Amino acid sequence: LSKACTKMSGSEATPTAGPEAPPEIRDASPANSSDSSSPTTTDTAIDVAPTRKAKRRPDPKPATEAEEAPKVEEQQPQTSTTSQGGWGYWGSWGKSILSTATATVATVGQGLTQAIEKAETSLGIPSPTEVSAQVEQEEKEQAKNETADGSAAVGSALGMLTSLTSVVQSTGKTVITGGLDALEFIGKKTMDVIAEGDPGFKKTKRLMITNTTLSQVLREAKEREELQTAEKESESEQKLVAHYGMLFDEYQGLSHLEALEILSRESESKVKSVLTSLSGDELVQLRAELDLIKDSFSLVEFEEEEVDEKKDEDGSEFERELTEALEGLSVTATADKLSKACKSTCSHITDMNKPEEDASDEDVKRRWSVEEVHAAAIRSLAELTARSIELFHKLAEMILFSHGSTEASVLSQITVVLCKEISLLSKKFTSCLTTAGSNEKGDVLNPLITGVFLEASNSASYIQDAFQLLTPILEISHIQRRAEPSEQ
Amino acid sequence: MAYAYLFKYIIIGDTVGKSCLLLQFTDKRFQPVHDLTIVEFGARMITIDGKQIKLQIWDTAGQESFRSITRSYYRGAAGALLVYDITRDTFNHLTTWLEDARQHSNSNMVIMLIGNKDLESRREVKKEEGEAFAREHGLIFMETSAKTASNVEEAFINTAKEIYEKIQEGVFDINNEANGIKIGPQHPTTNSTLSGSQGGQQAGGGCC
Repeated sequence: LSKACTKMSGSEATPTAGPEAPPEIRDASPANSSDSSSPTTTDTAIDVAPTRKAKRRPDPKPATEAEEAPKVEEQQPQTSTTSQGGWGYWGSWGKSILSTATATVATVGQGLTQAIEKAETSLGIPSPTEVSAQVEQEEKEQAKNETADGSAAVGSALGMLTSLTSVVQSTGKTVITGGLDALEFIGKKTMDVIAEGDPGFKKTKRLMITNTTLSQVLREAKEREELQTAEKESESEQKLVAHYGMLFDEYQGLSHLEALEILSRESESKVKSVLTSLSGDELVQLRAELDLIKDSFSLVEFEEEEVDEKKDEDGSEFERELTEALEGLSVTATADKLSKACKSTCSHITDMNKPEEDASDEDVKRRWSVEEVHAAAIRSLAELTARSIELFHKLAEMILFSHGSTEASVLSQITVVLCKEISLLSKKFTSCLTTAGSNEKGDVLNPLITGVFLEASNSASYIQDAFQLLTPILEISHIQRRAEPSEQ
Repeated sequence: MAYAYLFKYIIIGDTVGKSCLLLQFTDKRFQPVHDLTIVEFGARMITIDGKQIKLQIWDTAGQESFRSITRSYYRGAAGALLVYDITRDTFNHLTTWLEDARQHSNSNMVIMLIGNKDLESRREVKKEEGEAFAREHGLIFMETSAKTASNVEEAFINTAKEIYEKIQEGVFDINNEANGIKIGPQHPTTNSTLSGSQGGQQAGGGCC
């Protein structure tokens, strides 16, 4: 496990609920990923209802929490247990992101557990008893879902739509156990509270349980941000707030995602119709071949790697890795955009990190406010994610167009490189934040740091979801290629 | 910026300066050379009837070889700009483009026929011919120039007006996103969709 967890277990009493939970939850994931039928949807819909109500609760007030800090400290062992049970499930990206979160915050001079617990209280993470109750409930639902599965498989009325959702659902559970499912298990309530500060996240969560497409989710998040901005403007207290969703759209991320979804959906229905036209050995044979492709998408294991934040200061290493991964694929123009975005981000970071003494002229060198650093971080994450989605969209077009063979391993390697970059940048930015906010109180700085890590985790999830959307595209491309020789 | 509606447009036709039209509309500049891509995107806000409308424009490649992919993008568009460059060849291909568009999009899609006259010196098709073709096929018609920006605004905006009128007449079901229309965040019905029924969600998704 990551640094975060090791550190945590050092500072806490023996975790109780924590270690028992993971196997159950992990077991549950694959089962869940294959369901997406209407009965299940009804189940979850009912389940979600209280969450919606809860949304109307008053905002969590970090200020009051800060005042109550000593009191909270008494409950430390308890909260730490929660964190082990919850954060422990973060996939490698989430985990490494989180471990830096704790490391970064620790350097500010705050206790590690306190920092985590602060993040938790502000996120409204439930107590261990709630968590275990949640887990039990999840299990029950799982059982229900499994029974529902049988009938669902037969009545595929919703056809390609549901299977698309299942593709999206399985994402992050199979590829990289992303931050999402971790949070899912912390408790549905949590998601709701997080959503207050991060609309996209809530939507992503909803994506997992309803027939909503990823681009819809992002669009709705963006729309709400636009509304909020409009409200703020009218209140004439326009602060420097970064809106991930709006920025993502600004970089045409939504459009590329929508286009990618269209191609994915069409390919999927083509694959289905080919399968229904076959029977006997032919069908078995093709099924087996397609399963191989599916496997290469789901069996990707991303090794957990401690990324040094000092690494790749100018973004050239990212460029090299990306170019290497893309070798032989004709999408250079798009990759250039990505590299450029990354390089400009890196130089921005270098700029923000420059010690004040270095400045020749005091007037020229100014101190970056934490809000500015935060805004820069969110913008960069949104841009890189949008460009990554664009890359996957272009790859999809290229695969469909060229009829050449494309290995899923190439695509997963690209995903690795992109997600690693997101993780690295989030670390660089939070370290920047820590420097810029060295005089700020924790309740100002911590939400910003948490925000950057959350958006980074979202970014990684979006990229992985986009990667998964390529599965049916490789499948149909495979079918077309195997059909060619026999026709000639 | 918040908008009342979002309309999805596609631009189709031979290689006749479609991207130039888009760039003139979104960036108000003319740039003759473009990367060859299968689809590129542009967006701009316009105002109709005092309402902010966001146009999300999908600019598709004209090459025949990309057609199988670009066709996929037709679906879910509220408006289409079908462009020819006032030469005979591109005019002759209009029928094929139109059939293709009609077949792969929803029946209510508003189609604007555009004669892009950047090549005025090489004109082979009179304006009247374009008008006649449009009349015959129930299209709106305009001659534009991406180079001089003449009528470019009008082409995009008139298409939006037509879509807007169709919404007012109830021809478009605005809750069905397959029509290429999305309701903006501040619209009252949006809230009911967001907070409300799963049914609405599924109805929207099911039609795609």
